[in-house]
Amino acid sequence: MSTVLESLSNELAAVVVAAGASIVRVEGRRRQAASGVIWSEDGIIITAHHVVERDENIGVGLPDGSRLPAQLVGRDPSTDLAVLRVGTNGLTPAKWAAGDTLRVGHLVLAAGRPEEQVQATLGVISALEGEWRTRAGGAIDAYVQTDVVMYPGFSGGPLVSAASEFAGINSSALLRGLSITIPAATIQRVAGALLAHGKITRGFLGVSAQPVRLPAAIAAQMAQETGLLLVAVEGDSPAERGGLLLGDTLLSVDDAPVRHMDDLLAVLGSDRIGRAVPVRVLRGGQVQTLQVTIGARA
Amino acid sequence: MASLLQSLNAELAGAIANVRNSVVQVRDRWSGAGAGTIWHPDGLIVTNAHVARRGPFEVALSDGRVFSAHLIARDERRDLAALAVQAHDLPTIQPGNVRALQPGQWVFAIGHPWGIANAATGGIIIGFGSHLPEHPAGRHDWIVVDLHLRPGNSGGPLVDTAGQLVGVNTMISGPNVGIAVSVEAVKLFLRQSLSAAPAADSATAV
Repeated sequence: MSTVLESLSNELAAVVVAAGASIVRVEGRRRQAASGVIWSEDGIIITAHHVVERDENIGVGLPDGSRLPAQLVGRDPSTDLAVLRVGTNGLTPAKWAAGDTLRVGHLVLAAGRPEEQVQATLGVISALEGEWRTRAGGAIDAYVQTDVVMYPGFSGGPLVSAASEFAGINSSALLRGLSITIPAATIQRVAGALLAHGKITRGFLGVSAQPVRLPAAIAAQMAQETGLLLVAVEGDSPAERGGLLLGDTLLSVDDAPVRHMDDLLAVLGSDRIGRAVPVRVLRGGQVQTLQVTIGARA
Repeated sequence: MASLLQSLNAELAGAIANVRNSVVQVRDRWSGAGAGTIWHPDGLIVTNAHVARRGPFEVALSDGRVFSAHLIARDERRDLAALAVQAHDLPTIQPGNVRALQPGQWVFAIGHPWGIANAATGGIIIGFGSHLPEHPAGRHDWIVVDLHLRPGNSGGPLVDTAGQLVGVNTMISGPNVGIAVSVEAVKLFLRQSLSAAPAADSATAV
């Protein structure tokens, strides 16, 4: 009778079963457990940073129902990703979807394992855009927004395509109120760095700053309304060595306007570490340009 | 591509049309109308305990007929109630197999959200059980569904793609998540509460 509908329904259930082989439960906080994705056959798990509230005594529930202790390999709050390791072999690693296979309107499932069994919700891809920065300054390779319901404990679980491939990891913490997926390309990059170094290196200036409104003439000249007033400059920091002073108002770094903290975080990516870049400041009513060599955060 | 979506639409509409007539409105004098599901052609209606709180009750069929109804069983813990009306040859929905359902499968709900009669909403099964995150403690046999239940959906049917009854919609858990009592729990409730009454498993005796 209802052939297409029944086929669709059964195929969705089959996708959930297939995806479930690579989805684990992550016990890293006191309330509701969350989800994670199997990265490699030998026990590497990717999850969301915000669901791993402690660094020790982390548990991982595998698809076969067993529960193993896990070590925290590293975390990157800026992209809300964390990497765990469990001592086992023979896991089923996730199959990642190529980024260009996603289209707005595609049916997708959010899946998770907050309890023993895999659970799922359904939606469509709502928006696909280019690279963006999280509030904490993390670089995300593509903006992927869906209308899937993030059921409690779904963070750290995958967004699953109709082909049972993982398009990324869902996080309800990156943008409140929206279902955002961290795409596979970002996971690859961040997980690679965390596995190699245990952390993500970020650029470092050594200042504390707060946004201030610019005088009208400067605002017109720079085509920006606000800058960042330096309220502290650390001793022997890249900022001090470059000649930045307490009371300067930061206008741009490497020709990128700095209007608020997000702008500053965005220009302090790992790609600028060790480079001398032009930094424009407002000092004594005059715009000055200094050369500052961006450091690396310890 | 469009033809597949069109077939899907036609089938969804057909599946909903097939079960709509088995959905009733349950009214009392005090609160807004809830929904009910016709269980037996001879006038046995299943609804939620929180819908059938305090009589007298009226049941309105989809064909416009209105009957006064007797409350014949009520179970707060399972949030189920059974009502009987003096009517025959009512359309029922074949009970389905809940144990065969899996997360990801499509289901739909019919009810009267915000008083809109016989409105449909669809989604997939998120999961089952008694220990789901937003689940009231001590309750069993629930189906958690990714769809939009609203006040007025309570007591209405949750139907699978074969058009079979798999649950009775009961609760809203956030804006996009609904919870239904499984049809197995409904069977158990009817078996236990109606066998306690004289001349039991059919509403004709009431």
